Amino acid sequence: MRPARDDAGSAGGSRAGRIVAALFVAVVLLYLFAPVVVTVLFSLTTSPRLSLPIEGLTLDWYREAFANPIFTIALTNSLLLAAITALVSVGLGVPFAFGLLRLRGRTRGTLVTASLLPAAVPALVLGIALAVFFSGIGVAQGLPNAAIGHILVALPFVILTLNARLETFDLSCLEAARDLGASPWQTFRDITFPLIRPSVLGAALLAAALSLDEFVVTWFNVGNQQTLPVLIWGLLRRGIDPTVNALATVVLLSLTGLVLGAALIARRRA
Amino acid sequence: MTARPSTAAVRQIGPATGFFLVFFVVPLAILFAMSFWTQDGFERIPGFDLANYLKATTSRLYPAVLLRTILVGFVTAAIVVPVAYALAWLMRFTFERRGRLILGVVLISLFSGYLVRIYAWRTILGTEGLLNAALLQLGLISEPITALIFSPWAVMIVLVGLLLPLAVLPIWSAMTNVGRDHVEGARDLGATGLRLHRTIILPMVLPGVGTAFALSFVLAAGDFVVPTMVGGAQGGTMVGNLIANEFRGSGADWPMGAALAFVIMGLLVLVHLVTTRLLRVVTRW
Repeated sequence: MRPARDDAGSAGGSRAGRIVAALFVAVVLLYLFAPVVVTVLFSLTTSPRLSLPIEGLTLDWYREAFANPIFTIALTNSLLLAAITALVSVGLGVPFAFGLLRLRGRTRGTLVTASLLPAAVPALVLGIALAVFFSGIGVAQGLPNAAIGHILVALPFVILTLNARLETFDLSCLEAARDLGASPWQTFRDITFPLIRPSVLGAALLAAALSLDEFVVTWFNVGNQQTLPVLIWGLLRRGIDPTVNALATVVLLSLTGLVLGAALIARRRA
Repeated sequence: MTARPSTAAVRQIGPATGFFLVFFVVPLAILFAMSFWTQDGFERIPGFDLANYLKATTSRLYPAVLLRTILVGFVTAAIVVPVAYALAWLMRFTFERRGRLILGVVLISLFSGYLVRIYAWRTILGTEGLLNAALLQLGLISEPITALIFSPWAVMIVLVGLLLPLAVLPIWSAMTNVGRDHVEGARDLGATGLRLHRTIILPMVLPGVGTAFALSFVLAAGDFVVPTMVGGAQGGTMVGNLIANEFRGSGADWPMGAALAFVIMGLLVLVHLVTTRLLRVVTRW
């Protein structure tokens, strides 16, 4: 390792500069994680009103949240949507990313930008546009509509990560397989898939995480069905309910698990 | 050999493109067409009428809310982008190896639950919330600051926290193109401090900064959950609330909601174009 150089492009370079920089980062992280800490903390405290100092610790809110019959329905629906979103957005995104590899720079750039557009439109607008569309073709609101919405939200991110990872993929090894007499299916099964499996798995976990956390598009399209975020929203609107913190912590842990999983898979490949 | 890859490419690109066309382009087009419809009671009347757009720009309620939405979105983005820039710079050049770890931690907060983070801020900022309690206990204030919650300020405080991790990404990835040699070369030639950033670094990462600004601006101005939860009825209503109400509220008026959606998106594009132009001029000084 190179010795730290004082003038090496850092904000302050000097020792004092580094301390100021570290403080800045610490304040930003505190700002980002304060809501998370508050949620987890209050999911475990006895006092139903949110106040300090903390009186005692309990798991009662979790028990109460899990005992709510709607919770089981919401959890099942959320997991179902996450699985469908992961499968379909990867099923659409992987061929798309491979198709991009065969295209020239300009067309490719345009297509990548175009595929990212849904992520640049507010979820509210995506949600109402889908609701109007489904009502126009006479499809009642429900979970399938929400699934379409989730795929629409996840697909740009799946394409973005796959496109970045596939940039180093060498198409010539597929040609070699073909020249040696492998059928397209054999090529895919024996060459392509083993090579891209980590990237695909990472993208699938990301899609699942986005689906699990999706609220806005869901709310406009799911009708009177439940998902975890829809359930949490309903509880929040009704007033102070400490089981919300427990539900929120469950969502939080699942999301962190999915994202950390994706990060670890990406790392093992690198 | 030249024809085959292109048909293969079309076959591979086709399904996702079809999905985007059917469930993104077509719905937006229908929504746009519907913005010219009118509504009479509960009946939507197809047609081509500019009434909704006139109402959006001339009624007593809408222009004020639109202006507030633009302002909140702009100020949020104007806070988020410099902080994200500083963070990306520090992660790349001050903390080097630990920088990636910090980036990872920042990104994890992106996946800590959208609704949950908004709700938790209510616990922190409320009149009987943690922040007020702490300030009271420290003797810094003698009575709770009520403006912390249910105000445009609360909306911006929460939006900054939601959007910062998202804005760091494009700036960070643009920053990876800036080499240590660029920085050292610029320093050797006498560009230091702010000047180094304005004349050398910022122009190099400008596309990333532009993307970050556009993302935070559009997503902040288009959010309706944050103003619903912490904005309050009085000063915190944003156009997202009005649009959501036209679609899920009691007096639902889809055509009006559709028109509002396109007015705000048009305004956002306009402000964004002006901002990027200004940014380009500033970095060229």
